[in-house]
Amino acid sequence: MKRVLARRLVTSIITFFVTISIVFIFAHLSGDPLAELEDDPRVTPDVIAAMKAAFGLNKPLYMQYLDFIWSVLHGNLGYSLQYLRPVEDIIKERFPYTLALLVPSITLSNYLAYKAGVETGWRRGSKFDLSFMTVSMFMRSVPYFWLAIIFLYVFSVKLGWTPIFGAITPGISFANTWAWLKDYLWHYILPFTVLVFRETLAMLLYVRNTLIEVLREDYITTAKAKGLDEAYVKYRYAARNALLPMITILGMRYAFLIDGAVLTETVFAYPGMGRTVFEAIVNRDFWLLQGAVVLLSASVIIVNFIIDIIYLYLDPRVRYR
Amino acid sequence: MTMRERYLTFKEKMSELWFVIKRNAAAKLGLGILITIIGIAVFAPWIAPYNPNVKSGAIFLPPSHKHLLGTDDVGHDIFSQLIYGTRISLMIGVLAASTAIIIGTLIGLSSGYFGGAVDEALMRLTDVWLSIPMMLFAIFMVAVLSRTATRMLYSVIIAIALTSWPGTARLVRSAVLSIKEYPYIESARAVGASSWRIMINHILPNVVPIIIIEVITRTGLAMLTEASLSFLGLGDPTAISWGMIIHYAMIRNAIVNGFWWWFLPPGIMISITVLGVLLLGLGLEEYFNPRLREG
Repeated sequence: MKRVLARRLVTSIITFFVTISIVFIFAHLSGDPLAELEDDPRVTPDVIAAMKAAFGLNKPLYMQYLDFIWSVLHGNLGYSLQYLRPVEDIIKERFPYTLALLVPSITLSNYLAYKAGVETGWRRGSKFDLSFMTVSMFMRSVPYFWLAIIFLYVFSVKLGWTPIFGAITPGISFANTWAWLKDYLWHYILPFTVLVFRETLAMLLYVRNTLIEVLREDYITTAKAKGLDEAYVKYRYAARNALLPMITILGMRYAFLIDGAVLTETVFAYPGMGRTVFEAIVNRDFWLLQGAVVLLSASVIIVNFIIDIIYLYLDPRVRYR
Repeated sequence: MTMRERYLTFKEKMSELWFVIKRNAAAKLGLGILITIIGIAVFAPWIAPYNPNVKSGAIFLPPSHKHLLGTDDVGHDIFSQLIYGTRISLMIGVLAASTAIIIGTLIGLSSGYFGGAVDEALMRLTDVWLSIPMMLFAIFMVAVLSRTATRMLYSVIIAIALTSWPGTARLVRSAVLSIKEYPYIESARAVGASSWRIMINHILPNVVPIIIIEVITRTGLAMLTEASLSFLGLGDPTAISWGMIIHYAMIRNAIVNGFWWWFLPPGIMISITVLGVLLLGLGLEEYFNPRLREG
């Protein structure tokens, strides 16, 4: 048990180092991080030279690499040229917004996909199953951001039910926490719905196919032959065993969800990490983009590690191997 | 793949393929969609009423007989942009998917064939690659590569390819692992064929069905990634794809102003094309894997 855990921890750490090394390699493939400033006629060569010295850009490459790892490990992610503030400060402000979107939406979408997946898999080939499959297939072809745009257009622009942008109405001072929460949730509901809707349909197919696999097992036939109640077989025998593979791919789903959040937040101008990525692209704020990538990748690695631990408890086969 | 199929001529294979597609309504629909889209791409200059990069009317025009989908913020005809965008979106999708599959196949082949330490190292790399948020890395790569690349188009293709090979690598590897055990591989080795020759001449042809399905499915997925990157402003401004049209629509406030003719049609085009590609992929899977035909 402890050995398995230790191995998983080592793998996670290696993954983290490989990830930030990839970030470093790509960041330096493009050459000079200050290229945009050098093109700017308002910035004199002296300033560039001073900045290069300050950021350590005149050191040899391996020193820069060690410096980079050292500062990442100390939570030092560089300096945003757009906000003129340290990147980690900006991320500290915005990451909670994204986390508040990601965690509830992955939880709810997994629950809904589990329920719907078990029903469709159990009634494989029925009209009920077929309609779910058709919708699911079609939704796989629809771009994430476009779905968000449709939601925004219909519910905010046409119907006026929800606000058009942001996480909080700007320029309002709230009387109490409840008023703030109400405003927050009013902005929250639409991006949240987009993520849940899309993730549920994506996960549904997987749960359904797993359930169909499980239904082929001998113990299901035995349970049915014993004359057990159909609902009992469905939930106690089949659904339980379809749950485990769901947890296996949860880490991968979390990574997908981050991609979804980047696009959804951009459409709704929601001030989380996703929107930050978009702003960093538009404003060519290289360090901010790099910081966001490092932090979000680290969160994926941490989530994967937690899922691995959960898995160890749930599946005895892994524990005793 | 059975031994029998090795003796089928190309023409016979095609007629068998057509036989399977003909009986499969979904695959037929997918093929129909794809042929239509390719037709639009090829005949774009004859279909589009205007040059999409030249001002052809007043700015922000609503749909009319002259401009079927209105005009954008600089007076370019949106319908013409949509027609020409078919070329760009399709081309990037096919090129990015093919590059990804070449990388994935090479890695999967070497990993499966050589085994041992090579396999271990390559599969670890694949695992790491699979556990990072792909689009986020594609975003990062395009943002970085486009600072030096001459055209952003290439950055987009490279970034999509570099982030989407692991799935193919795994599939090819597991196929190679089973093919490797066949007696004819052993015979080839016994007569002294080199590793390279065995891989290319004896193993690769048997992986081709998997690769064909991968190329088709990955093209759809690559088109979705391209659309997302372009939507975020990482497209090539000299090659307007469907995703780019939506990007411009968003930053010019078309959504909040309700200019649906600007952001709805490109999304519909992407969705239909990707749907066609995925449906065809499913149909082909049935062709190459006859066990699926019963179900």
